[in-house]
Amino acid sequence: MSLHSESKTSFDTETFSNRGRLRLFIRVMCLVVAIAALWPILPGTNSLVFVPALSPFVAIASLLGNRTFHALIWLGLMVVVVVLVRHRFFCRWICPLGLCVDIVSRLGKRLGPRYMRVPLLGQWIVCLTIGGALLGYPLLLWLDPLAVFANFPFLFRQNSRLGIWLPATGFLAIIVLSIIWPRAWCERICPLGAFQDLLFLARRTLQSIIPKVSETGKKRNVDLNIARRTVLGVAAGAVWAYAARPVRAKTSPHLRPPGARDESQFVGLCTRCGNCLRVCPSRIIERDVGQNGWATLFTPVLRFENDYCREDCIRCTQVCPSGAITRLSLAEKMGIRIGLPQVDMNVCLLGNDQECSVCKRWCPYDAIRYVFSEMEYTLKPQIDPHKCTGCGACEAACPTEPQKAIIVLPCPVNI
Amino acid sequence: MNESMNRRDCLRMLGFSGLTAGLGAISSRQLFGQDVGESSSFQSSVIATHKVENNRGGAALVAGKVIQPRRELPILDKTNVLVVGGGPAGVVAAIAAKRAGVSVTLVERYGHFGGLWTGGLVLLVLGHIVKGGRQVCQGIGEEIMRRLDKLDGAIINRTAGNNPTVDAEAVKYVMVEMVEEAGVKVFLHCWGVDTVIDGNVVRGVVFESKSGRQAILADVVIDATGDGDVFAAAGATFEHRSHNVGLVSRIGNLDQVDREKASGQPKPRHLGSPTPVVGVNWVNMQGPEVDGLDVAMLTRMEMNHRKFIWKNIQKTRQIPGYERVYLVETAPQLGVRITRVLDGLKTVTLADLKAGTKFPDVVGVGGSEKGEHGEWQIPYGALVPVKTDNVLAAGRCICAELRMADLVRLIPNCFVTGHAAGVASAVAVEDACRPRDVDINKVQQILRQQEAYLG
Repeated sequence: MSLHSESKTSFDTETFSNRGRLRLFIRVMCLVVAIAALWPILPGTNSLVFVPALSPFVAIASLLGNRTFHALIWLGLMVVVVVLVRHRFFCRWICPLGLCVDIVSRLGKRLGPRYMRVPLLGQWIVCLTIGGALLGYPLLLWLDPLAVFANFPFLFRQNSRLGIWLPATGFLAIIVLSIIWPRAWCERICPLGAFQDLLFLARRTLQSIIPKVSETGKKRNVDLNIARRTVLGVAAGAVWAYAARPVRAKTSPHLRPPGARDESQFVGLCTRCGNCLRVCPSRIIERDVGQNGWATLFTPVLRFENDYCREDCIRCTQVCPSGAITRLSLAEKMGIRIGLPQVDMNVCLLGNDQECSVCKRWCPYDAIRYVFSEMEYTLKPQIDPHKCTGCGACEAACPTEPQKAIIVLPCPVNI
Repeated sequence: MNESMNRRDCLRMLGFSGLTAGLGAISSRQLFGQDVGESSSFQSSVIATHKVENNRGGAALVAGKVIQPRRELPILDKTNVLVVGGGPAGVVAAIAAKRAGVSVTLVERYGHFGGLWTGGLVLLVLGHIVKGGRQVCQGIGEEIMRRLDKLDGAIINRTAGNNPTVDAEAVKYVMVEMVEEAGVKVFLHCWGVDTVIDGNVVRGVVFESKSGRQAILADVVIDATGDGDVFAAAGATFEHRSHNVGLVSRIGNLDQVDREKASGQPKPRHLGSPTPVVGVNWVNMQGPEVDGLDVAMLTRMEMNHRKFIWKNIQKTRQIPGYERVYLVETAPQLGVRITRVLDGLKTVTLADLKAGTKFPDVVGVGGSEKGEHGEWQIPYGALVPVKTDNVLAAGRCICAELRMADLVRLIPNCFVTGHAAGVASAVAVEDACRPRDVDINKVQQILRQQEAYLG
């Protein structure tokens, strides 16, 4: 049995039939809608959340990793149901990245046939990730094509930093790959495609074991190869995630968006799709560009240099497709501390007898007090850890240059 | 019956003040040989000495209690607008009102103008800029700064987006010049202690001086005392706050620090920042948060701060290279930042600053320390007490949220509120209405004519 040959035909036949035209039309529409939703010129729309959240791969992995349901998972689960019935339905009708790959693959084929035996990486990626997810750490979730695609429009964002546009090159890499080895991504590497293969196969296998459920009545033997590979992959993923535990526990804490799961889980669950970056009205969410090692690369981190986490905003918690950032109500967010500010009295204007009351005035939670020190004969800002949420308003407002006197440091303890 | 008595009293008071004013004119000419501003009302020390004898309070100990008997107070002056407090807000208010065409009297408790700016040695002028470094403090405040520009050694760092530092003596001089040019009647060494009240309406102010307790009657009183002494005495409601109380000093010979010897040594603390006088820095002090209306606490602060400043200089002099640094002076006035804050018709709030709220009754635009914030408008209602009439607040004691008080108290923002109060009081006098009922369009129009910036 060869699943990939089957999928190949599903792509290439019927191109010029009526059904083919309809499919092409729908796929183009999906691409247009996806780009419109993700486009940076449309701020304030939460529509973009649907793009990465449609992935059944992300839905299942995050369900296993989080062990909690959240609203967006239903979206992915709906797609799961569809792809159980119609094999690779998502690839054939919806996937915006798939259409792009198809187009450049045709171009690549015209340039001349190339042959390379690309192993079935996708299935390994899926198995490893699902295995990791069982231990709360979906290892390669960030390879999800929708998350990669969602990063693409960041290329067109103004004033973007390295951390913003570098992940967007993932899309370009897939395009280049598809020109060199046409369709290798979709058929061999894409975890979303491979996941659909495995789901469909699992359903068929179940059908063959329980004939009553079978629609076609045909009995098929269990493909031992794939079953063995799946079990092996899942086990390897679990072992990997388990082995990485001490390393993960040691990772230094970061300033994460409010509601971010525990650091050791967050890095795995995060698809790097950039949804949280996009919706943040104060644009304080940036990407880790590898200052803290490869594991946290491109994950969202907060920078309070110019703005702070608004007291009336929970948008980043509403758009995370994988639940790496938990959905929060405003009241819940108020109970979460992002970090805790530290004051460098050598830099602070108050430490140099200057008049300044900016951080105290700017603190939305009234958590800063200036305390007089008899010893130094100066004032020192004192932060009430029970009131402070680490929102960074003080850091954003601090007038000292080039170094801010008050800096929020990670301290992920709830108030 | 009561009213006729009042009228008779009033006439007698007017006669009395006219007499003293006349005598004052003669004596001042005799003493100085020239006219000094509106010298017809200048009060000479010769007359005052005579008054002390006739103006005893006569407090008596009755059953262990000190009782102040009822008595008639001499009326020193009657004027349209009386400004109590000669700081940045008071001086600007007096000049603005006078230029708007009414008679103005200004009383000040010390012997100079400028209040904490000069007497408190708060030499760094913070608060005239907004985000982007644009200057929002214009009008008479800016005129003072321009006059300082023209004087040698009066001001440094006067460039766009920067906070300039002034010389206190230059400011005192410029303010005398401007007050005289405007023709404002002045009484220095007069400490406003009480108000003359008629129900909810202020009719004048009682003040204490070497001439004893006297009163000045006025149509409108501007409370530029900083502490809200006048509106508090008049029974207006207010919020009583504590803030940091420090003592500013100036240190000298910083140009003679031996850099070679000093290199590698820890830099001494509390060295301050440069002033227009070469080698002299001014050293700010925050001090502990105390009640600036508690005389025992003020005394404690003065004494503690003096000890600290002296000892700190000794410590500085022990650091190699800094041996010649010395203490030039400590500020004559203790640096009280906030005490009473008026309960006004409108409140200056942080929410309005953040939202950039535009008020229909805007009378000024405030800046921030280093231009951290955008423009924030000051509504006229923040100067007007909730109930009490014929008194306006100007300067740091206007109605503002606690978080905004640190902006409201900055010198340029005091210029702005002083300017507004001066013009509004003149309009109230001209239109014979209560200050709360003034035609705000007319106030804004005159403010703009006087080059104030209203957004």
